[in-house]
Amino acid sequence: MQLFDVLKPDVLFPLLLSMLFGVFVGAIPGLTATMAVALIIPLTYYMKPVAGLAMVLGASFTAIFAGDIPATFLRIPGTPASGAAILDGFELSKKGKGSLALMLDLFCSALGGLIGVVILITVSPPLAKFALQFTHFEYFWLGIFGLSMAAVLSRGNTIKGLLSATLGLLISTIGIDVTTGYPRFTFNVTELMDGVSFIPAMIGLFGLSEVLKRTSEKSRLQLSAVSEVVRPNLKETFAHIWNHKFTLLRGALVGTFIGALPGAGADVAAWVSYGVEKNVSKDEELGKGSVRGVIAPTSANNAAIGGTWIPALVFGLPGDSITAIVLGAMLMYGLRPGPMIFTQSRDLVTQLFAVAVLIQILLIPVGWLGIKAFSLFVRLKTSLVMTAVTIFCIIGSYALRNSVFDVYVMFVFGLIGYVFEKLRIPLAPMILGLILGRTVEDNLRVGLIKTKGNFLPFLTRPISLALFVMIVLVLIVPPLTKTFSKKKV
Amino acid sequence: MVRKALVLVLLAAVMLLAFAANYPRKPVTIICPWGAGGGTDRLARFLADELSKKLGQPFTVVNRTGGGGAVGHAAGAYAAPDGYTLTLVTLEIATMHWMGLTDLTFEAFDYIAQVNEDPAGVIVKADAPWKTLEDLLNDIKANPGKYLFSGTAAGGIWDLARIGMLDAAGISPDAVTWVPTTGAAPALVELLGGHVHVVTCSIAEAVSQIQSGQARALAVMADERHPMFPDVPTLKELGINWSAGTWRGVAVPKGTPSEIKKILEDAIIEIASSESFKSFMQANGFGIKIRRGQEFYEFVKQQDQAWKKVLELGGYLQK
Repeated sequence: MQLFDVLKPDVLFPLLLSMLFGVFVGAIPGLTATMAVALIIPLTYYMKPVAGLAMVLGASFTAIFAGDIPATFLRIPGTPASGAAILDGFELSKKGKGSLALMLDLFCSALGGLIGVVILITVSPPLAKFALQFTHFEYFWLGIFGLSMAAVLSRGNTIKGLLSATLGLLISTIGIDVTTGYPRFTFNVTELMDGVSFIPAMIGLFGLSEVLKRTSEKSRLQLSAVSEVVRPNLKETFAHIWNHKFTLLRGALVGTFIGALPGAGADVAAWVSYGVEKNVSKDEELGKGSVRGVIAPTSANNAAIGGTWIPALVFGLPGDSITAIVLGAMLMYGLRPGPMIFTQSRDLVTQLFAVAVLIQILLIPVGWLGIKAFSLFVRLKTSLVMTAVTIFCIIGSYALRNSVFDVYVMFVFGLIGYVFEKLRIPLAPMILGLILGRTVEDNLRVGLIKTKGNFLPFLTRPISLALFVMIVLVLIVPPLTKTFSKKKV
Repeated sequence: MVRKALVLVLLAAVMLLAFAANYPRKPVTIICPWGAGGGTDRLARFLADELSKKLGQPFTVVNRTGGGGAVGHAAGAYAAPDGYTLTLVTLEIATMHWMGLTDLTFEAFDYIAQVNEDPAGVIVKADAPWKTLEDLLNDIKANPGKYLFSGTAAGGIWDLARIGMLDAAGISPDAVTWVPTTGAAPALVELLGGHVHVVTCSIAEAVSQIQSGQARALAVMADERHPMFPDVPTLKELGINWSAGTWRGVAVPKGTPSEIKKILEDAIIEIASSESFKSFMQANGFGIKIRRGQEFYEFVKQQDQAWKKVLELGGYLQK
């Protein structure tokens, strides 16, 4: 039976290697899952297609999980998809519950990933058809919903949060304007033509600024960076997962769907899932170290990976930057992605699905190894850990485009992050502005080009309207109910 | 004394000769101005592998992305002209300086060899009402402003291909609306979702969608029919004098020693004529077009002027 071919060493061995590689890449800030896949692909040309694709899947699932490890311990997201994990995960870690947060991350990543894969296996074609209905008008509202999360992230400090988010939005306008081809705010610097690279900015804001902060506190440099000894408490972990099973399910469903949209990937999925959780659960602790805040984004970003393969397999259209690379590799393997792949390469697709499920099981031991190794590292003296973090901040921002300019960008954002922290201005809204600024602006403007300046389709297209109504309700209903219930009293 | 000096001079001369002939003596970098995993990157990596085998030194690909290709082309052009930095140049070298994105022009390079050319196609959804390009063009003439075209960013190559085609067919480029996207793949998403009507992009980038019957090509903007789609007519057959497409080749910084250029040119031409290259290009849906150094230079020069006109027509010309 060809299904069990995936358990043979010529698939299993490369898969395990790629997963170990994925943990490494994911846990190091600046090295992203996309980069891992781009590095792996040239190696796979000499393998069986299923082994090559298994390596890609293995690396992407593990890297997206592993990005949460530094986010939890050091508040430095390992990959852009772990942006939301710096909130509750890090807060838990500060309270000495880092191992709980990471155990939850690990199991919810595997379970979320599994749900994503099951959806990929069962309802790909109709879901892909529905996702194609989304165009600029709908992506605009999705971006607006994501941006509204800035309000959550700056609770108790609205003005400062707004300042931070606006600065992020402003920075996102730098670069060639896609609608006119005009370079905005680039001052003839070629490196700025594509805008400020998001990854160096993120590493600077969270990574370098953390280094600056800790080194400015002389007394702590001799202590270990994270004092907690990592011990798995399976009973507690499973109890939490069981209590928040609907959070997990919601996260996974939202994640898979956002992943399936060709215009959004795991990073957006994590934020939207966090936002959905905030509105559904009404958990006041969210953002201050709530397990919900860990489970929702981590199950969403791993589920999103399954989601991104839906348009890739069904239409041959990339769901994110990873599947874009994979589609190119498939041509090299002699495969033609698109609706016919399910009939023409049926064995391969079946094996691929089997591999994807297998990865979720293997993720537990491999991920645990990653957590353990990283926790040994952060238990070193702060001075050593921070030196290593600085080195990786530099390497990571350079490696993205082999560009020294991006290293400068990282340093500048490191200083911005440090100063903002001193002034108690929250950093997360700025990242939201940076990620979603382009999404909102480009989709609005391209949408208006399509309609020749008419705003109505943003409100009259069925899906747009539904999204708009949902956002309005989310923003208006809670304060309204609050006032009404007060009046009754 | 004199004899000693003579021997020394001779020795030096021999060593110099050996130096030149001994290229490459250390690893060579190939700069790819586009991202890892994309079409240009795959081609760069294939050439790098073959060159390593042929010339006995590792050739490594470095992706220098950004600025719509400006960053990588600049890095390649301003490298030392010693033959140890090659650049996989793409069509953008002939367009981006006209748009004010860079001061770099095609004259900054010495050209080694062109290996690829991919024509643009006129692609519509499978269930679109137009059976031929003529149907489409007549419909556009009858309904100016009604139809949405897409394929890449504003002023990008596929936008220019569209402008040139409409102009050559006697239709104002303003008769259709260009929906800017970040590339051909998102434009095809828009096409299959029914959000735009026509995509003009490289036939190679839409091979999966056309072969699986989700989309149809009405025409190719080439001088000859595409070997993969022999049923699709060229614009010239339809009486529209316009060809457009992207191309790729290898170049070195201006001033690179001619012996080194010769070694590279011979090696790349040999690779490009091999069976393994042919099957690689076919697997990727890329077209093969080989032009040797001088011919490649003349071609780029001609392209530079040709695109200037189209950019002017579209209102993108900056200087």
